[in-house]
Amino acid sequence: MFFTRVLERISSTWRLAILQGVLLAGSMALCVTMASWALRGDLDTIARAVVLDDLGEYSVLYNRAGLPGLSEVFTAGKHEDDQGVRITTPDGNVLLESIPAAAADFAWPAQAPASLQSGGIFLVTLKHVASPHQLLAGCQLLNDGNALWFGRTNAEDKAYEEHIRRNLWLAGLGALGLALLPLWWFGHQVLRPVHEMMRSMQTLAEGRTDIVMAAPNAVPELRAFAVAYNRGLARIRSLTEELQSANDFLAHELRTPLARIRGNLEKFHDSTDNPAAHDAAARGLDEIDRATQLIHTILTIRAGENEALKLHLEPVGLLDLLRQLHDLYLPAADQRALKLSLMAHREIVLSLDRQRITQAIANLLDNALAYTPEGGGVEIALEVSGAAVRVIVRDTGPGLLEDELETIWQRNARGSAACSQSPGLGLGLSLVRAIAIAHCGSAGCANRSGGGAEFWLELPM
Amino acid sequence: MKILLVEDDPELARQVDSLMEAAGHACHGCSRGMDGLRSLADREFDLLVLDAGLPDMDGFDLVARIRAAGHRQPVLFLTARDSVTDRVRGLGAGGDDYLTKPFAAEELLARVEALHRRASKLSAPSPKNIGRWSLDPTLRRLYAGDEVVDLQPREWTLLEVLMQNEGRVLTKKFLLEKAWDIHFDPGTNVVDAMLCRLRRKIDSPQAASHIETVRGKGYVFHARP
Repeated sequence: MFFTRVLERISSTWRLAILQGVLLAGSMALCVTMASWALRGDLDTIARAVVLDDLGEYSVLYNRAGLPGLSEVFTAGKHEDDQGVRITTPDGNVLLESIPAAAADFAWPAQAPASLQSGGIFLVTLKHVASPHQLLAGCQLLNDGNALWFGRTNAEDKAYEEHIRRNLWLAGLGALGLALLPLWWFGHQVLRPVHEMMRSMQTLAEGRTDIVMAAPNAVPELRAFAVAYNRGLARIRSLTEELQSANDFLAHELRTPLARIRGNLEKFHDSTDNPAAHDAAARGLDEIDRATQLIHTILTIRAGENEALKLHLEPVGLLDLLRQLHDLYLPAADQRALKLSLMAHREIVLSLDRQRITQAIANLLDNALAYTPEGGGVEIALEVSGAAVRVIVRDTGPGLLEDELETIWQRNARGSAACSQSPGLGLGLSLVRAIAIAHCGSAGCANRSGGGAEFWLELPM
Repeated sequence: MKILLVEDDPELARQVDSLMEAAGHACHGCSRGMDGLRSLADREFDLLVLDAGLPDMDGFDLVARIRAAGHRQPVLFLTARDSVTDRVRGLGAGGDDYLTKPFAAEELLARVEALHRRASKLSAPSPKNIGRWSLDPTLRRLYAGDEVVDLQPREWTLLEVLMQNEGRVLTKKFLLEKAWDIHFDPGTNVVDAMLCRLRRKIDSPQAASHIETVRGKGYVFHARP
């Protein structure tokens, strides 16, 4: 569990480096072990040959020149200090012993084994009392019945082995350095372009479609990916532009005829003395204004849903904006005997479209005021949670049914508390959500534990 | 006032023309941007009313060319688009005010006259004394005789706008924009509620209200004695 969690946090470069390091270290260890093993076998064979060779030479010399001759030759010879020679009598007395310090401290046998025949050779490996070194000793019976001993330590062999082992490890380190070169290549040509692509994806997620993904030094696969991605972006861009111009066109085509009708109706309203006609014209003017507002709302929702809403971003103080909204709705709340309060203390400045955010919060307030019965309360709150800020409108109204919590955000949906007399097409909340989405935020609602509902607009800081 | 109207919709052009004539202004209309530029070169105008979407050029481009040619008259845009970005673009291009279609006739007149007053440095038709009311714009106070009427800042702004346009019916939209800088319909009749509060402060119980609601059109201020 812990391991998986740690593994998830390791970047791909480190994963690759660790994997390569482990693999290379493993194969190096295998190489060194195999090489040492083979070398030790070869050195053992050579050591036996040296011991047998020298035993043969010295026994011939002893048989011809006797003990003084052997002693003379052995001392005169430039023997390495890891070789020793001795002569023992059958009953174990030492006649000659020439053992350098390096070959000392080995438990030489006192006498030749009884089973040893004349001309036969007895080989034995002796352990040092303290060091891990070994001594290979050979024993041959001489013509006079005495025994010739010749021994050689493996100190020199060990030094060879160590030397080769060290050089092999050095070669391994060099190979590891070379093996990391692909890692550099991976970082430079694969990972860096991937990071750049990730950044442009984030920009896209923030709602900007005017980006182009570039991967000039990347591998061909990533370049192909960038090309395909850019093609997709271009398509989104052209669709967005098409939608925006279609919206503008539709708005124009509907508003201009409404303007013509309104002008004439207003003229009629002002000119007629007939009270019924006057009243009818006034109703007509009201309806035209509502239709105009409806066009505006539908187009805003449509544009917001398709991320084609043109925002005019500027630094906006949310506390200041909420105070103004509180001021704006206070007289209307008083008229309905509702207590409208503002629970916000700290100013938070964000880059927002002031009009649209005001409109979204105004919609929430409008709903809260419409659904809260007389004597109730509506509270506007500003709360910071993590990297987001929430504008919350709480009411003491009837609340929402469980299955309404999501459906009321859909277009033309109205909650169960809406009565058929109250005006509205159920577009308000989808407008709130469209504006929230256009600001990379969200909108939601919940029932309050003490009764009533709360609606919020969440904006990223 | 001499007004140049560049509007390609003939019916709307006719309506604006008759509205201006009735209000005592001379209105010269044309339907294309190029014709507008030519008329400007030939004749004197005090103010321009431009449609933002003309057949031969964008109204925003037209105003840029008008400014480039050295004409300094105030420009009011009439437009069928109402997004804030467009409003900002229109004002940024050199426009002075912005009105979305459909619009109320008297709102157009109010805006045109306010622009003209601003351009010719005329003060508003003295809002200082209307009927028994006197306004002190620097202290932002309202006096009824010698008595100070206690008004909140927003109520004051609202009353100032109403008094400046005495006798003219102002739409809810216009009042929201001038008093709250709000360019959308906030639903609940907030303007109505605010005006009710204002009426309680300035009206006398027996007399007719100073602020009249005109069904289908808006609100009008009457300076009654």
